This record gives sequence, structure tokens and C-alpha cells, in this order.
Amino acid sequence: MNTLTDNSIMLKVKAGDLDKIGLLFERYNRPLYGFLFHMTYQRETSEDMVQQVFYKMLKYRHTFTGSGEVKHWMYSIARNVLKDQVRRKKLAMSGESVEVVASHVAAGLTPEEHLEKKQAKLALQKAMARLSEDYREVLTLNKFQELKYHEIADILGASETAIRTRVHRAMQELKSIYVRMEQ
Amino acid sequence: MKCAQCEELFTDLVNHELAPAEKEKVERHLAGCPDCTLELVSFKQLWGEMEAVETPVPSAYLKVKFQAMLETYKESVKEEENTAWDTLKEQWKRLWKVQPRWPMAYNLAVILAGFAITWWVAVPQKTGDQGQQLKVLSAQVTELKQTMMLTMLENPSASERMRAVSYTTELKQADAQVIDALLTTLDNDPNVNVRLSTLDALSGMAAYPEVREGLIRSITGQKDPLMQSAIADVMLKLQEKRSVGSLKKLLRQKDLDHGVREKINQTINSLI
Repeated sequence: MNTLTDNSIMLKVKAGDLDKIGLLFERYNRPLYGFLFHMTYQRETSEDMVQQVFYKMLKYRHTFTGSGEVKHWMYSIARNVLKDQVRRKKLAMSGESVEVVASHVAAGLTPEEHLEKKQAKLALQKAMARLSEDYREVLTLNKFQELKYHEIADILGASETAIRTRVHRAMQELKSIYVRMEQ
Repeated sequence: MKCAQCEELFTDLVNHELAPAEKEKVERHLAGCPDCTLELVSFKQLWGEMEAVETPVPSAYLKVKFQAMLETYKESVKEEENTAWDTLKEQWKRLWKVQPRWPMAYNLAVILAGFAITWWVAVPQKTGDQGQQLKVLSAQVTELKQTMMLTMLENPSASERMRAVSYTTELKQADAQVIDALLTTLDNDPNVNVRLSTLDALSGMAAYPEVREGLIRSITGQKDPLMQSAIADVMLKLQEKRSVGSLKKLLRQKDLDHGVREKINQTINSLI
């Protein structure tokens, strides 16, 4: 039974028990990777960035106060890592390489899935890739990471109302891109 | 509720982020509006299809890389701790041998002087020539001390300058050059601790009239409350009545510290 909360784990890490960060890695490497992947569509880069997130958590462990959620702190760090990465490598984050994206995604599917959902997945993936970064970010956090509005607001440092509006607009935008693609 | 308003709440509806009252409003509108109902169906379909969008999982290699990073980080922390410990030890050692050259020269000079004095005391059957040599030697030692002190006063390190000031208390006689150097330090040294120890050293040389005059002159130039209060103490200790004028001048400064003002008033009262 695992009763340790994220925050109590991180406070242990802060107190010097560095190995405990392994527990947080187990819990969050996948969601963080998913978020970073949807923002970049680059597998290796996303893995490197996940690594950087955990490195920064270790390096800046003394700044964790325990007043907020570790999860939100992690995503904030991930966003900063992403920004650095974009600045350094001039990563293309918009839908310019949509075809590449589609093939990346298709590569991860089983043959059955291929037949079944291929069309819808590819089209939607393309539409997602064409969204602006801001919209893709909130949709990824909301839909794929299953975060609540107030959590996203915490991570992005915005108000809940602003996030509510942004998610709604992102969905509208996605829909209109999707419809245009189908035509 | 208008159709546009209703549509705006679709995202919140599928996210289960609607307040019960709002939800009820939406449902009531949907019941009477087939357009919005159709719209919601298509919205839910898109929302559902998004679930099919593949989110890949990281490779197994990520965990290996993570473990390696963690180990490296732990090593670096250990090294840092070691380095910090080493630095501490180094500093502790350095406390006892700061810049070895001058103190060593000073120690040598003291040992030499010690030998010379022993020779002078233990060998009473000295010739006039030897006595003369000894005088020259001890004069040279004093001169050496003074030169060293004067050079050290120029040192950029505050602790070295304080050490220099403390040497002057060992000088049996202070010449004009030393007094002058100390008075200059008292007025101009950027470090308040150096200035305070200089004041201390100078108060021990109060037998020299130029020291007393220099101290009185220095009163009005002091800006630091610590120095102002310390110099007032010295004036009281020396019972230097001539300082009253300068102290009163200090009182006229508008930004004078409240505590210092009180202290100077007391000093003036005790001196008069």
C-alpha cells in the first residue's frame, strides 16, 4: 500500500533523502512525457526534457515549500524546460511537421488499432498539431493529463476563469480546423 | 439562455466543471433546442475521439537515464559537501597564518629583538661599542615594525589593516608618521571595524598632544553612529574639554542618530 503523498515525498527529498525522488519519477514520468510529447512531437527530446524536469526538482528542492502541489510544481518546471528548449533549439512546436507527427503517432499503434481508428486519430492528431501552442497546452493538460481547471490555473499562473475560456476557445478552434480538414 | 451561451458551456459540461445551477440551465435549454442538442452530440463525439489520440509512453531507457542522473547528482552533492568542508578547514587554517610573509617577518624581528635584549641583559660586561650596536639594532627593529605597520595599513583586506592597527599598540613610542597614518585611517578607512580599532589604538596614545588634537578634529567628520558614539566615549575617558565645541557641532547635524544625540548630550554635560 502506498500512502505517501507526493508532497511528503518531495519534503523528504528536500530534507536530503534524494533517492525518494524515484517514487515521484515512477508516478509522473509518463504524464510529463505525454505533456512534453504533445507540445513537441519529438520522442527523444521529450525524454531528455523529462530528465531535466527531475534534475531541476533535485537542484531546486530547497525552494519547494510544501504549500502547493508537487504535481503543479513539476508541470511548471516542465513548461520552463520546454521554453528553454524552444529558445535553444528553435523547436518547431506548431503544426508545420504535421505529416511527420502523424507518422510518429501511427508508429505507436497495433495493427488492429491501425484499421480501426487510423483515420480519426490521424486527422485529429493533425488538427491538434495545428493548434496554437497556448491552446494545445491547455487541451493537453485538460484532456490528456486530466487536470482540472483550477489545477491548470495553478500551473500556468492564471485565473480559473481565464483557463475555462481558453479551453473552450481551444475546443472551438480544434473543431473548426478538424471540419476544414474533413472537407 | 441563448444558444451561444449554452454552447460556451459544453467544454465545462464534458469536463464536469459546471455548478449544479448552471448545469440545470444548460439541460433546460437543451430540452427545448434541437440545434444545440445536435451541436452537443457532435461536440461530445469530437471530445470522445480525442481520447483515441495516441499519447506515446517513454522508452525503458528513460528510467535507466534517470537512475544514472540521480546517482551522478548524489555524487556531486557529496563532493560539494566535501568541498564545503575543505573550504571551512582551509579558512580555519588560514585564520592562523594569514598572508605568512609579513607576520613571519614580524615574528623574526621580535625573535631577533629578543636575542638582542637577552644578549644585552645576560652579558653585562658589554663594551661601549656593543651598547652602541644594540641601540642601533633596537632602533632598527622599531623602525621595521613601523614600516611594516604602515605597509599593512594599505592592505586591501580589512582584517590585515586591523592587525596593523593592533601592532601600533605594541610600539613603545609612536613617531609622527605613525600617528599621522592612524589619524588618516581613523578618518578615511572604509571599514567601520578598522576605524573602531584605530580609535582604540589612538586612545591609548593620548599622551601625545597631536593625537588628542587629531581625535577632536575627527569628531565632526565621523558619519557612522557607532564611530560617533565611540569617539564620544573616548573624549569622556580622556576628559577632553576641548572636544565640547566639536561635539556640539556634531549635534547640529540633522540626520544624527537619536541614540547618539542623547549620548553626546550626556558627554557634553559630563565634560562641562
